[in-house]
Amino acid sequence: LRVVVADDVMLTREGIVRLLREAGFEVVGEAENGTELLRQVRMHQPDAAIVDIRMPPTHTDEGLAAAQAIRADHPATGVLILSSYVEPSYALRLLEEHPERVGYLLKERVFDVAILVDALRRLADRETVIDPTIVSHLLGRRRRFDPLEELTEREREVLSLVAEGLSNGAIADRLYVAQRTVEAHVKQIFMKLGLDADPSSNRRVLAVLAHLRIRA
Amino acid sequence: MDGYNRIARRGVATVAVPALAGAYATAVVAATDVAVDPPTTYAAVSLTAHAADVAAGVALLVAGVAAWLEPRTGRLGALAVLAAAAWFLPDWEGWSGGPALARSVAAALAPLLLVVVLHLVTALPRGRIPSRPALAVVAAAYALAGVVGVGRATLGDPLLEGSCWRYCVGNPLLVHRAQGVAEALDKLGLWTALAVAVVLAATSWRRLGIASAAARRRLAPVLAPAVAVAAADAAYAIALLRTPLEDPRTKVFATIFVLRSLALFALGAGLAYTVVRARRVDAAIAHLGRALGEAPPPGRLAETLARATGDPTLDVAYWLPDEQRYVGPDGHPPTEFATGGGRAVTQVTRSGRPVAAVAHDAALVEWSPLDLELAPAVRLALENERLQAEALAQLHGLRESRARVVEARDDERRRLERDLHDGAQQRLLALSYDLRLAHAAADANGDLAAILAAAQEEAHGAIADLRELAHGIFPAILAEAGLARALTTLAESAPLAVELEEITAARHPDAVETAAYLTVAEAIADADARGGSVVTARVGARDGRLVVELADDGAPRRSDLVHLADRIGALGGSIELDARTLRAEIPCA
Repeated sequence: LRVVVADDVMLTREGIVRLLREAGFEVVGEAENGTELLRQVRMHQPDAAIVDIRMPPTHTDEGLAAAQAIRADHPATGVLILSSYVEPSYALRLLEEHPERVGYLLKERVFDVAILVDALRRLADRETVIDPTIVSHLLGRRRRFDPLEELTEREREVLSLVAEGLSNGAIADRLYVAQRTVEAHVKQIFMKLGLDADPSSNRRVLAVLAHLRIRA
Repeated sequence: MDGYNRIARRGVATVAVPALAGAYATAVVAATDVAVDPPTTYAAVSLTAHAADVAAGVALLVAGVAAWLEPRTGRLGALAVLAAAAWFLPDWEGWSGGPALARSVAAALAPLLLVVVLHLVTALPRGRIPSRPALAVVAAAYALAGVVGVGRATLGDPLLEGSCWRYCVGNPLLVHRAQGVAEALDKLGLWTALAVAVVLAATSWRRLGIASAAARRRLAPVLAPAVAVAAADAAYAIALLRTPLEDPRTKVFATIFVLRSLALFALGAGLAYTVVRARRVDAAIAHLGRALGEAPPPGRLAETLARATGDPTLDVAYWLPDEQRYVGPDGHPPTEFATGGGRAVTQVTRSGRPVAAVAHDAALVEWSPLDLELAPAVRLALENERLQAEALAQLHGLRESRARVVEARDDERRRLERDLHDGAQQRLLALSYDLRLAHAAADANGDLAAILAAAQEEAHGAIADLRELAHGIFPAILAEAGLARALTTLAESAPLAVELEEITAARHPDAVETAAYLTVAEAIADADARGGSVVTARVGARDGRLVVELADDGAPRRSDLVHLADRIGALGGSIELDARTLRAEIPCA
C-alpha cells in the first residue's frame, strides 16, 4: 500500500514513516501542511493519507479540511486523521460527507504498529476507523434515560465495535463468533435503538455515532 | 431689591404703555381728516389708503407695546412704538384743523421712521446694537435725518414750496428763510432715505444669510418684512426724486403708499410673532425651572435643556478633572462637538473650574438659560449630572479593566492549552515512540520488555491526563466550532447526566462564548458536588444578550460561585443564583 504522511512535527512524522516502512508500506510523500499534502496526494494518488488534524497555518482543524478535500477529489485515497482531541464533533464532521475510507485515531495510537496497520487495511477495504476511546466516551456518557440499558452485554460489545467502524466479518473475528450471529445482533441493536439506517450500509457508523451523540 | 424694583416698574408700564399707545392711536384716527379736498393726507384719498395707514401703524404699535412689556424684547418694543409713532407723523402734518406748531414738529420728525426701523433691525434680537461699526451707521443715519428734519423746519417756508401739499400755511419753527438750502436739504433727505433703505435691506439680508437655521426661523419674521419696508421706502424716495410734486391721488404714489403700509404691517406682525415666541421660550424656561426642581432623571439634563431652548441639537459634555477629558452624561466618550456652521460651544465653570461644555445653536446664546435667572439652577443641575457622569465614567473604566483582566486570563488559558499540546504532548508522543522502539529491540529479554511495556502504558496514561488537562484549561473545540458543539462534548464527558435543551447555534465573541461555556461547566461541577444526577442547560440569545439557564436536582446550593459572577460581571452581564437554578445574562451584541 502506498501512503502519504502529513504532520508539521518532524519527530512524529518521521516516527510514523519509519514504522510504516518497517511494516512494509511504501511511503511516497511527506507533507508539513494542508496545501503540501494536497499536492502530494494529487501527484502520487496514494492508497491512504495519514493526516495530523492540527497543522499550519491556523493550527486548528487544517487536517480535517484537507481530509474532506482529499475524499472529495480522490475517492480511491483513504484518509486517516490523527488527533489529540477526544472530540466526537471532529469525527462526525469527517464522516458526515464521506462515510467510507475515513479514520479518526488518537495520535498516541499510531506508534502501535498493529493498530496502524489494521487501520490502513480497513481503509483500503472501504471501511471506517473510529478511535475506541471516542466510542467508549460516547457509550459511557451519563444519561437520564439510557437507551443502552435495553441492550445485552454482548449487544453493547457489538455496538461499540460497529461504532469503531468494524465490518460484521471483522466483528465476528474479534469476538470469535459466526458472522451470521453478528448480523443478528446488529439487527437487534438497531431495532432496540430505533435506528432506521440500513444496518449493513457504510453509513451505519455515522448513524450509530450520531444517535449516541444526540440522545441525552 | 433690584428684582422688586424691576417688577414694580413693569407693573406701572403694564398699564401706562398700552394706555398711552391707545390714546395716541385714537388721537391719530380722530385727527385724520378724510373729508378735505384737496387731500392733506393719504388717508383722505381713499378708504383703502386710510385702512392701510391705520392698520400698519396700529399693528406696529400693538406689537411694540406687547414687546415692550416683555423683559427680553423691551428695547425692541420701545423702538417699534417709536417707529409706529413716526409712521403717523405725516398724518399729524396733514391735520388740517391742528395747531401749526404740532404740524411743523411732525414734519420735522417724519424722516426718522426709516432710521428707527434700521435701528430696530440692527438691534435684533435683544435690543442692543452688537458692534461699534453698526452703532456708527445707525448714529450717522439718525444724525442725517435730524439735520434734514431740523434744517428744513427752521430754514424752509412751506408757503414758498411748490411741492407743498400737507401743510402749506405757515411755519412757526422758521428761524431764517433760506429756501435754496431747504430745497437742497429736501434732496439730501431723499438721498438719505434711499441710502438708509439700502443699508436696511442689506443688513436684513445679510443677517438672514449668516444665521443658522434655528436663528433664521426666529429672526425671519422681522427681517423679511424689514427688507420689504426698505424696498417700499426706496421706491418712495426714488419716486419723489423723479417727481418732486407728490400728489397722493396719482396711481404711482397711492400704490407706493399701500405697499409701504403693507410692509410696515408685516413688520408689526413679525414682531408680534417674535414676542409670542419669546413668551413660549419663557414658558419653556419656567418648565425647565420646574423640571430642574423635580430633578431630571440621570443623563436627561441635555434633553430637558434642549426642550427648554427649542434647540433639539443641544448637547452636554462633562469635564473630568482627574482624567482631563470630557465625557457624555452616560460616562462614555462624548459625541464630537461640531463647531462652526452656526454651532457654538459654551463652557460652564464653577468658581473657575470647568464643569461642562454645552454645544448649541450659535444664535441660542441670546436666549440661553445659562444667562438668565435660571442660571444658578441650571449650573447646579449640570454640576450634579457631572458628578454622576464622573461616577459612570469610573464605573465604565472599572468594567473595562475587569473585562481586560478576564480577556487576558482567557488568552493565557488558550496559550497554555496550545503550549501543552504543542510542547509537552509532543514530547510525550516522542517518548512513547522511543519506548515502542526499545520494546521492539528488547524482544528477546522478557523482563526488560515487560518493563518497557509498562512504561509505554504510563506514557499513554500521561498523554491522556495531559489531554484532559489541556481540554479543561481551554476547550479548543469552543473556539473552532462554537458553543453548541463544545457543550455537547462537555455533556458527553460530564460525571452526571446533562440535558442540553436549546443551545443556540449562533456564534458570539470569544469572551462571551467562553463565559457561557464556563458557566455551564461550573454549574455541572457544582451540581455534581451537591450530589445531583441531572443537569438541564439552555443557552439562547435574546435582545442582544446571551441567556444561560441551568437547573439540577442536587442538594440546595451553598456556594455563590463568586469567580463566575466576577467573570460575567466583567462582561457587563449578571448572574442570578437559586437553590438549584442558575441564570446568567451576558451582553453579546
